[in-house]
Amino acid sequence: MASIIDELPLLLQGVVATLQISMLVVVAGSIVGVFGGLGLLFGPIWLRAPLRGYVDVVRGLPLLVTIFIIYYVPPAFDIDISGFAAVVVALSIFAGAHISEIVRGGVASVAKGQSDAAKALGLTFWPRIWSVVLPQALPSIIPPWTNTAIEMVKGSSLAYLVSVSELLFQTYKVVGRTGAAMEIYIAAALLYFAINFAVSRFGAWLERRVRYAL
Amino acid sequence: MDQPQRTFTNRRTLLRGGAALSGAAVAVAGLAPNAVLAQDAAPSRLTQVIERGRLIVGTGATNPPWHYEDADGQLIGFDIEMAKLLARGLFSLTDEQLANREEWSQYLEFVVEAADARIPNLLSDRIDIVCQFMTITPARALEVEFTIPYYREAVTLLFLADSPYTGTEDITGQGATIAILENPTAVSMVQNGVADAEVSTFDSVANSVLALDSGRVDATAIDLSTGQHLAAQDPGKYKVGVDSWQPQTYAFAVKPGDQRWLNWVNTALHEYLAGLDFSYYQTAFADNFGVELEPPPAGFPIEYR
Repeated sequence: MASIIDELPLLLQGVVATLQISMLVVVAGSIVGVFGGLGLLFGPIWLRAPLRGYVDVVRGLPLLVTIFIIYYVPPAFDIDISGFAAVVVALSIFAGAHISEIVRGGVASVAKGQSDAAKALGLTFWPRIWSVVLPQALPSIIPPWTNTAIEMVKGSSLAYLVSVSELLFQTYKVVGRTGAAMEIYIAAALLYFAINFAVSRFGAWLERRVRYAL
Repeated sequence: MDQPQRTFTNRRTLLRGGAALSGAAVAVAGLAPNAVLAQDAAPSRLTQVIERGRLIVGTGATNPPWHYEDADGQLIGFDIEMAKLLARGLFSLTDEQLANREEWSQYLEFVVEAADARIPNLLSDRIDIVCQFMTITPARALEVEFTIPYYREAVTLLFLADSPYTGTEDITGQGATIAILENPTAVSMVQNGVADAEVSTFDSVANSVLALDSGRVDATAIDLSTGQHLAAQDPGKYKVGVDSWQPQTYAFAVKPGDQRWLNWVNTALHEYLAGLDFSYYQTAFADNFGVELEPPPAGFPIEYR
């Protein structure tokens, strides 16, 4: 037990990297997702077609393949991209595609009468979306969005394969040196659980808030 | 009416095509010597490293005694020592600089990579050289260029200390399950030593040892050096098999096509292994493998014996 406490600082360094990657990815993925989802629903054909292509292609690619493409292809064109940046970009592309689809589904589920009523009040497109449709879509967007956020925390462990010292890699390093595999893996599992439990509580809190707002 | 006109057009097209072709030919002829010049002038990685003032080395962080992190999260191990010796040769580092991490780390950068990433990182110019217990195989030598060897490894069996087995002889015929790190030849590697073994492969050495700890397997096939390191660390827990088999050669690897760089690394390595700088290799070997090497004999060069 003492040995795990000794190793905790190294594992916590990994937690910091895991949190950095996950937060950047969830924020970037959500921004891409909101505009992607709205574009899929309301965009003109020249916007809708490439967005549909993006969502379908990315959803059809294993996350690891996306990371490898972003990490290994740019250096061939003399573009330097760090492992950390490659993982954040790849996961954001991945999260963006998934959240686009979530937002599209959520917004589409809002009764068309709401939008029509807003139109009748003279609201133009963006106020209609921001103030009337999106708030009503949030209760059905937040739960799958939370799932995607948790997936991204777990997906960040793939960063190990492009030399980023996140939680899983730190765990491997400590196990490699100490040989105390069982204890360290359990400690790592508890740390991942703690992060994801916090994310899921945050999701539940958001969900209550948006319901209250209605 | 149409026919002559079309012929005329065709001839004109033909003429234009001919002009374009000869233009292209001139362009190619004019460009070719430049292209060759440009190739000649492309600086060797050796020049790049010296101008950069820093050697970038690909290595791992999870395999003692080769490359692993100490309790402060700093890389140590035999591969790390060898990389320091390359930096010593490139940047004329003094013994004081080599003894001080803050000093030598200004000249030496490690890119910590999974074993799978060794070749891709080299080919995409992310690193100058791989120092990561890389086994020479003809197939890999098609993709990268290997330097001269710096270690000869073999496979042995690691047992729990209270295991009834002692080596390949008494475990053969028992239908034992044996763990090993996943690799293209994992199954034959184990069965060359224990013919009737059932082979269970794992994604890391640590996990193949975990399988032994948890009783999932009867033994773990492991590098002799790693097995000895584990048993030395925890003699009450593990013992190393009495025999080993399938020797394999470890070397550094560089991106193909840069003879100057390859030659420099080979020359430096050679002198550490058998020449003026042998004492550095000897110290690194003793520190990481616990074996004191004899210096190479004077007189007739050891390489030709």
